[in-house]
Amino acid sequence: MAQLRKDPVTDRWVIVNVDAPRRADTFHHEPHVKSSKTCPFCPGNESMTPPEIAAYGRRAGSKSGSDWQVRVIPNKFPALRIEETTEKQAIGIYDKIHGFGAHEVIIDSPDHDKELADLPAEHVELVLRAYRDRCLDLKKDPRFKYILIFKNYGASAGASLEHPHSQLIGLPVVPSRVAGEVKGALRHYGYSDRCIYCDMLAQEAGERKLTVLDEWGFAAMTPFASRFPFETWILPKNHAASFESMQDDDLRRLAATLKGTLKRLKTALKDPALNFMIHTMPMHGKEEDTYHWHIEIIPQLMQVAGFELGTGFYVNPTPPEIAAETLRGATG
Amino acid sequence: MPELRRDPVLGYWTIISTERSRRPMEFKPRRLDTDAPECPFCEGHERQTPGEVYALRPDGSAPDGPGWRTRVFLSKVPILPVGEHVQRYGQGLYDVMEGAGRHEIIVECPDHKSGLDSLETPQIESVIRSWAARINAFEKDPLFTFAFLFANHGLIFGSPSDVVRHSRSQMVAMPITPKRVKEELLAAKIYFERRDRCVFCDIVRQESADKSRMVAENDSFLAFCPFASRSPFEIWVMPRRHSPDFGSIDEKEAPAFAAILKDCLGRLRTLLDDPSYNSILHTAPYRHKKRETHWKTIEEDYHWYFQISPRLTQSAGFEWGTGIHINPTPPEDAALLLREVKRG
Repeated sequence: MAQLRKDPVTDRWVIVNVDAPRRADTFHHEPHVKSSKTCPFCPGNESMTPPEIAAYGRRAGSKSGSDWQVRVIPNKFPALRIEETTEKQAIGIYDKIHGFGAHEVIIDSPDHDKELADLPAEHVELVLRAYRDRCLDLKKDPRFKYILIFKNYGASAGASLEHPHSQLIGLPVVPSRVAGEVKGALRHYGYSDRCIYCDMLAQEAGERKLTVLDEWGFAAMTPFASRFPFETWILPKNHAASFESMQDDDLRRLAATLKGTLKRLKTALKDPALNFMIHTMPMHGKEEDTYHWHIEIIPQLMQVAGFELGTGFYVNPTPPEIAAETLRGATG
Repeated sequence: MPELRRDPVLGYWTIISTERSRRPMEFKPRRLDTDAPECPFCEGHERQTPGEVYALRPDGSAPDGPGWRTRVFLSKVPILPVGEHVQRYGQGLYDVMEGAGRHEIIVECPDHKSGLDSLETPQIESVIRSWAARINAFEKDPLFTFAFLFANHGLIFGSPSDVVRHSRSQMVAMPITPKRVKEELLAAKIYFERRDRCVFCDIVRQESADKSRMVAENDSFLAFCPFASRSPFEIWVMPRRHSPDFGSIDEKEAPAFAAILKDCLGRLRTLLDDPSYNSILHTAPYRHKKRETHWKTIEEDYHWYFQISPRLTQSAGFEWGTGIHINPTPPEDAALLLREVKRG
């Protein structure tokens, strides 16, 4: 029997194949292609990028622009532009807003060939610090309603450059998917007076079927209604609504969990293309008690097709219990 | 200048990104399907598929043999397996449901052709009649609340048998109405409550007057690139006559729908070098008396339509995280290019 599982936050059903689960070694993906072009993100090529917004790890008084560890720059081909206004306009029944927003690139490391999974935890911590600091800086501008930090790794995850990097997009609207999640969490709080993500963590603490990694105050788990094979979430075990509220010490522990999780995915699935997204409370939100920030990691192992596009109803061939077991057993 | 555009029905935002603007030739088609040496969907190979549950056999030929125009059988690798009933239970915080669905494969032509537009218009009309027949077949079945009809052209999905390049569509009848469908129904209802008009009829009126996003039109249908297109060259084919149910398509509409589908898919093929695409039928759920979950105005507030979404860009972290798509081709540009395509 196919089992249908409902995501308790968004009410989205997922079809999970519990009878004939697909194992890690049955997924095949396109190999990562190495480009021979000059990489604008490598040290020494700083002049090829727009002017730097921030850099981490550069020695004090350094004369060279190239001795950074993490570097933040504006996206050269921004989806949205900070110079735009937020002017709103109606065209008959349609609405539009000028494309105001921020689109930044976080170059994860000077090393062209090392992804977060391969870098030392201390370096991953520096990357997380760049994420947080950029959020805190942009938060000062009240026009931003939401800031999304995400990573596309590999061509089939939508990455156009291979040098390890992450991206930030600041938006003048709260996206519908985020709004749906926030609303779902609020509804649960409304009748239980508890955070639904805290409830998920509590249930998992008793069952231990979905856990990938649970150390250092953060839990990595495959969600009960995983949409994708080997989808993995990382949640702070202590309730916190926004990512940017994390202190340096939290980021150090998060870095160890993120690196460990990415490494396990890399080993178990032979270096898959993947996306991760930080889900956080909208800027200046009031959902401090009801929402719980987290990272969603989605390995790109399958094509989403017409069925998923039309129904929002995902078909997942690998039950999350099996994915978690595989990842627990993988080298971290 | 980039723009954020909002879909008037679902309210999702799309970023129309002019900075990243791309012309048709800049999209590399990612075709993943292949021609199999032995296609199980071709006429004469009926034994290679499960037994047919429906077929258009104008000459009255025997089932599971040659002589058909369209042929339908259950999927060998069903998204939802056939079952007698649905079991629902809780698992702590989580809800689980087991059971019942029906996943059918609708083979659209007896000969080895790929894509509806490669068929003659009367054959496409046969396909449309088969779609309607299969959806209507479960209208009274208390097990099902919704039938979803879709096609994946040129995409790998599921099993290796799915990569065979033979034109077909799929129908999944299911015991629940999926979330995305519910959202659309609810949004249409809210629009109707406020204005006493169907939002889709309003779209038909505005697109007919504006014309800047129009791809093709005839007496019964218009085909246009939607204002907040999520993918480059996305096309919606919408009937002018208000009806919530695709299954109600009439004698006048069926040939007109066949003609406009052939026209639009042919234009996409020429302009974008036979791209992969998904097509999705948006139609109202079944309204039998199992439960009183349907509102009284659904007949007036919902309007069926057909969506064609070419797969030219890769969804990435931003789309997954926000539900906001970044579309590098403004729909007005896409429509103009599609209108200008020279048809052979």
